[in-house]
Formats: sequence, C-alpha cells, structure tokens
Amino acid sequence: MALLAAPATASVFGPRAGHSPNADDIRTAYWVAVILGAVLIVVVHAFLIAALVRFRARRGRSPRRFTAGARAFVRPAAPLVAVAVGLFVVAIVMMTKARDVQATGPEGLGADTGLVAQVNGLSIPAGSEPLNINVIGQRWLWRFEYPGGRPGDRIFSYGELTVPVDTPILLHLTSTDVTHRWFIPSLGGQVDAIPGQDAGTWFMADDVGTYHGQSTSFSGTSYATMRAWVHVVTPQAYQHFIDQKRSQLAAAQDYVAKRLQESTPAGPKP
Amino acid sequence: MTPPAATAGARPELVTESVPRRRPAWIERATSSDHKSVGVMYIGAALTFGLAALTALIVMRVQLIVPENTTTDPEIFNRIMSSFAVTGVVLFAIPLALGLFSYISPLQVGARGVAFPRLGLLSFWLYVAGGFTIFGSFLWRPSEAGFAALPPLSEPLYSNTHGVDTWTIGTALAILGLVCCAVNLVVTLRTMRAPGMAWRRVPVFTWAANLCGYLVLVCGPVMLAALVMLFVDRNYGGVFFDPGYGGAPILYEHLAWFFFTGAFAFAVIFAAGVICDVLPPFANKPLFSSRAARACLLAIAILGPLAWMRNMYSAPIPTAFLVFAMLFAVALTIPIGLLVFNWVGTIWGGTLRTRAAPMFAMAAISAMTIGLVGDLAWSLIPVGWQIQNTTAAQGATIAVFAGAAVLGGFAALHYWMPKITGRLVGEGLARFALVAILVGVYVFALMSFFAGVKGQPVEIYKFYGDEGLNGFNLVASIAAFVMAGGILLELGNLAYSYARGVVVGHDPWGAGTLEWFATSPPPIHNFDVVPDVRSAEPLYDIRRAIRDRTQTTRQPTRDRTPAPPERQPAGAESGSGVGGTR
Repeated sequence: MALLAAPATASVFGPRAGHSPNADDIRTAYWVAVILGAVLIVVVHAFLIAALVRFRARRGRSPRRFTAGARAFVRPAAPLVAVAVGLFVVAIVMMTKARDVQATGPEGLGADTGLVAQVNGLSIPAGSEPLNINVIGQRWLWRFEYPGGRPGDRIFSYGELTVPVDTPILLHLTSTDVTHRWFIPSLGGQVDAIPGQDAGTWFMADDVGTYHGQSTSFSGTSYATMRAWVHVVTPQAYQHFIDQKRSQLAAAQDYVAKRLQESTPAGPKP
Repeated sequence: MTPPAATAGARPELVTESVPRRRPAWIERATSSDHKSVGVMYIGAALTFGLAALTALIVMRVQLIVPENTTTDPEIFNRIMSSFAVTGVVLFAIPLALGLFSYISPLQVGARGVAFPRLGLLSFWLYVAGGFTIFGSFLWRPSEAGFAALPPLSEPLYSNTHGVDTWTIGTALAILGLVCCAVNLVVTLRTMRAPGMAWRRVPVFTWAANLCGYLVLVCGPVMLAALVMLFVDRNYGGVFFDPGYGGAPILYEHLAWFFFTGAFAFAVIFAAGVICDVLPPFANKPLFSSRAARACLLAIAILGPLAWMRNMYSAPIPTAFLVFAMLFAVALTIPIGLLVFNWVGTIWGGTLRTRAAPMFAMAAISAMTIGLVGDLAWSLIPVGWQIQNTTAAQGATIAVFAGAAVLGGFAALHYWMPKITGRLVGEGLARFALVAILVGVYVFALMSFFAGVKGQPVEIYKFYGDEGLNGFNLVASIAAFVMAGGILLELGNLAYSYARGVVVGHDPWGAGTLEWFATSPPPIHNFDVVPDVRSAEPLYDIRRAIRDRTQTTRQPTRDRTPAPPERQPAGAESGSGVGGTR
C-alpha cells in the first residue's frame, strides 16, 4: 500500500485531490498514517510468515522451551511508542493547521470585513475577510443562505453551493430535522449538522471547478441521495450569481404578490 | 469415548445419592443450569445469529454490487441494515465469546460449577428473547433508523412506527442477558478458583474472560440506560434527546459509542485470549510471556472503551476531549503491538504443528492487525474527519470483528470442540474455509478502504456511477461473497463434526491447562478431584506426577529439572486422587 503513495496513483486509490488548505492538511496526516500503517502491517506479517515457515514441526526437531521476562519487551516497545507518539504529534499539528482559517488570496472576493461570526473550534485571524454562509441540513438536501439581505430574507439555494475562488468560506452548520453531516472530500473533513447545536467549518478553494460529496450521517429512507455540489467560480461570476438569484427571488415575490392581488386565496380545506 | 491410557484407573468413581428421572433431551438442554449446557446453547445461538448477520451482509452487498442498483427497495435495505450492527455485535460476537467463556473458564480454573448457575441460564434466555424480538419485528415492521438508532432520527417524529420500539426492547433484553452472564462469570472467577489457582496462574483465556466480564459490566448498563431513555422519549413524552426542549441528541451518541467501542475492545480481548491459549500447545512451547500478555489485555480493556469519542471527531465536542480520545486510541498501538510480539515469540524456536486451530489463530492475528491499523489511521483526528463514517472505517471494523469473532471464534471452536463433544472438528474443509475467509476479509477491507477514502458513506442503499466507486464496490461485494462462502463452509463443518466428528481422547492437544484434566465431555460436576494447582501449567505437573508413580524405574527424559518446589496452598485437597504431586 505504501507504493500507492505515488501521486500518479493517488487519484485512483487515494483520496480525492485536495483543493483547500485544510483538505491538504488532512491529506498530509492521511498519507503519514497510511504509510506508517502499511509498514506496521508488513512488519507484523513478515514476522508471522517467518515464524510459520521457520518453526513448523519437522522430524528430528525439538522445541526450545523458553519464556521471557519484562525486559524482553523493551526493544519491541520502543518503536511502537515512537510510532504512537509520532502519529499523535502529526495529528495534533495537522488538526491545528486545518483549523486555521487563512486570509483571502489575491484572486479572492474580499467580502464581509468586520462581520466575522465566531465558529466553534476555528481560529479566525483578523482581516481574513471570510464569506459567511449558513448551511442548513434537511431531509434530504442542503439549503445554503448567502450573506447580504436581512435575516429571514437572505438569498438562498438548495443542493448546490456557489462560492468565489481563493476566498475563505465559513460554513455555519445546523439542521432542521435529524442529524446530517457535511462532507465535501476535496474541501475538508466531515462536520456534523445537529439540530439545536451550532457547528462550523471552513474551506478556501484554490481552483475554479465543481466539487461534490454527500452526507455521511444516516438520515432515513433517501439518505443515499443527499448529495451536495460546490461550484467554485471567479468573484465576478459569484457576484453575477448573487445578482441573478436576487432578481429571481424578487420575480418570484412579485409573481405571488400579483396572484394575491388578482384573487383571494382559497385556504386549506376545513 | 476412549479413556486416556494415562489416567485410566486412577479416576475414582462418583456416587450420586439419587438419580433424577430422565426428561426429554431438549428439555434437559433448555432448562439445565449447568454452565456447560448454557455455554453450548450460547455458542449455538450466537452462530445462528451470526448466520443471520451474514445473510444481511450478503443482501446489502448484492444491492451495492453495481451503481444505482434497484434490486432491494430503500426501505427494505434500511430495515436489514438497521438490524445488522446489533446482530453482528450484540447477538453474535459477544455471546459467542461469552458462551466459550462460560463453558471453558470454570474448567480452566478448576471450578466444579459457577457461582450463579440459574442466573447464567436466565441470561441465555434473555439474550435469545432479545434476538427473537428484533427478528420477530421483521414479520411486521422493523426499525429503519440505522445501525445504532441515533436520535433525532429514532424519535417518533421521524420513525413513527413501532419498529424502533421493538429494536430498543430487543437490544435491551439481549444486553441485559449479557450483563447477567457477565455477573455470573466475574463472580465465578473471583470466588471459585481451585486451591493454588492464583491470578498469576490463571490461563490467559480465563484472564480475558475476567476482563471481558468487567467490560460487559461497565459498558452494557450504559447502553441499557441509553435505550431506556430512548424508550421513554418515544413512548412517555421524555425529552432526553429532543433538542426542542433542551435535550441533546449527542448524549445518546456518546452512550451508544461507549458501548460499541467497549464491544470492540471485548472482541479483541476475546480473540487475544484464544490465541494466547491455542498457540502454546501447538508450538510445543509455553506462552512467551504470560505476564506481559495479561498486562497488555488489561491495558486494552482500560484504554479501549475510554477512547469512545474517537468515533465522534466530526461532532461539536470541545477539542480537549477529542485529543484525549485520540491519545487513548493511539496508545492502544503499544499493548496490541506487544501482544503480536508475544505471539510471534511464542512460535519462535518452537515446533509448530499446523493444525486448523493454530492456523485460524494466526489468520485472526493477520486480519485483526489489518483492521486495527485501519482503526489507528482514523483515530487520528484529521484522518478521522476524512474517513470515519465511510466504508473505510467500516471495512477496518469488519476486518477486526471478522478476525476476532469469526476467525478467533473458529480457532477456539477447533481447539475446544474436542472438550465440548469429545470429537475433533474436521480439518480438510476447514483449510478451504480458512483461505476463503482470509482472502475475502483482506480484499473486502482493502476495497472498502479505497471506496471510503473517496467518500462513500456507510449505510447507503445505493451509490452513483459517476464517482469512481464502481470497481471498488464490485470487488468488495465479490470478496464479501467469498468470505461468506468460507464462513458457511466452516459452519457446516462444525455442525457435521458436532455430531459425527472423529472421537478423540480427553486431552488431544497435550495442553497444560486444567480443562483437559476433565473428561470429554466433562461430567456435570466437572472434576472428580479438584486438582491442586502449583504452576501456570497444572496439567503438566499432573502428567509428571502420574509418570513418576506409574514408572517403576525412571526413564531418562528430555525434560529439564522438575518444577521448582512451591509452598503448599492452604486447604488443598492434595491427598486424594491424581491431583497431588507427592
């Protein structure tokens, strides 16, 4: 398995390519764990096979009946402790790095100065100018609320999130029904969306494109269809998307208002 | 049954005062509170439920063999899937281990029975009632709320049939039974060991039984509490897990994961105990270091359940807790690695007879190693964000359970079936079964890992064709079928051998532990003479004593010096029978 660490095969057997700093940190920890784990597996099996081949019962061979004291375990314990400590340290470092929200890049949007809501566990430096987006899980799709507009009257979309490239995106996760889990493999790790609790994560896509993933928390009948797409576009295209959405929503409001002027609604049947 | 040549004639006859009227065999079996009878029923029921879990796995893998398959309806798939985890863990893995523990451990410590025989019998029927409740609900409408029925999905608002109720009641009954069994086990091992059977001389399998008993005592009631709270929430207006009224669904998740992580440690400790007992007689060597093995098992029993939050890295939990969970999970590397070293050291320098039992034991080491390394990977918080709740984590978990409960269980059955029935388990078919199971587990775990790393979640009833998962799922399904074929073959082999295996003597393997001192199958009171234990391998002392008495002139033997003289334990029945060494 260690041989698969080569970047050429990574796209087939490894995780999806990371397109965000936190996803890259996760991949670093992943490859360290996988390579060390592969070494552990190979070493254990080398010893098992060697023991099986060398010490099978054969005619004319008698066993050496020895046992060992505690001291015999010092030498094998040392590499194990080293592996455990090494993995622990790598995990801590990469976890901390993955939670450091980075500042907007040169091609980014640079929005929302001063309007940074705090997100659980993330460290958000001043001036990082993130874009705050509410992500609301409901069976079996995601609702995304974009910044701008008054609370309750925000621009929203379902299933597909459109964000600007090279801009830190803060996702504020919650759920209106059961527990869901936000997971776009190319853009970072999994985060629970639990009703009644606020959680968050972030990403900063480095490339224009569409990334997808799906919820990993079982939510009932159509759970397997609860997918999500993230369209990463240029800031200009993002502004265009927002304007377009705003006019679409305004048109829908106008349409309903016109219908109400023309006729009295029937209301639900008694 | 042929009596062994060595002990024939030396065994005093038992005289009972009154012989009860004979009842039909099945009534005897169902109502006998003898720990051996209960143990056999546990093993039989666990293997039957294991067959059910295997069927569920096959149905799910048939559905996932091609993208967007429509063989099984989502509802049907979810029902089967929702019973799968509980069937595999609570109805198969734990009871199989408890059955073997109940049967073998009292024999290994030289006890003539158990502390609470009727509690043991009750525990079995509670467990079976729980299993029947869960599967009985398939006649009407079972739970569709996922592996562990996590709220809010399992609350009435989202699961408004009685499926979750039957799931809750069935799981609770089964766990209650397992807890009762653990009470019996722990008290028996504490209070009923033979004279001289100090804890340092107890076989490692029995040490594992003791630790597993405590694990069930600690983790079982936690899950019971969670299930009771869920039941109150569903039926009596409780709000434990209702966020609308200040409850928190994550509390249930903590409790359920504590139980399932404990069950995971339980399975590993069980298999480790089996391997520690099986390898020495076949390698013709004592265990490399029995003390180290005990210490490692104790460390796993403590660290394992404490690391429960390693399954919850994506949940909104303060970082410090997650770091501690990761610390415990990563620290598990050390005792588990040292155990493997211990096993290799046991074979090293010996003469390994490659019978089925040690081969299954070594296969169990291999499969568990692969699964546990996968577990170690997703115990790291950043890696956990990436692959937990995906088939990568599931593949590793299934590799551990298949290694521990299936391969370890088969190793144990190959080793101890001659004690239980007086008959050998056939070894020709077992070899084919072993290869099939092992290859199946390897390929299944690897393919699940690759698919999970790409982001395929567990518990989905279909996946989509445009995500690069097709090949992995196809091969994983085929591997699962190969594994299932191997398991079925071995189950058939066991069933055949149970009735018609080759009859062997009381001590076919030349082991050093006390269960082989009893006849095969043992009489109701286990031992005519309670043996007088003076070392960790009391049967070797007994053999030496018999040889000393029966040989008029001492033959030159290859044995080195006799066992060092030890203090006579107080109250030892050393004067009678063959148990004494004087």
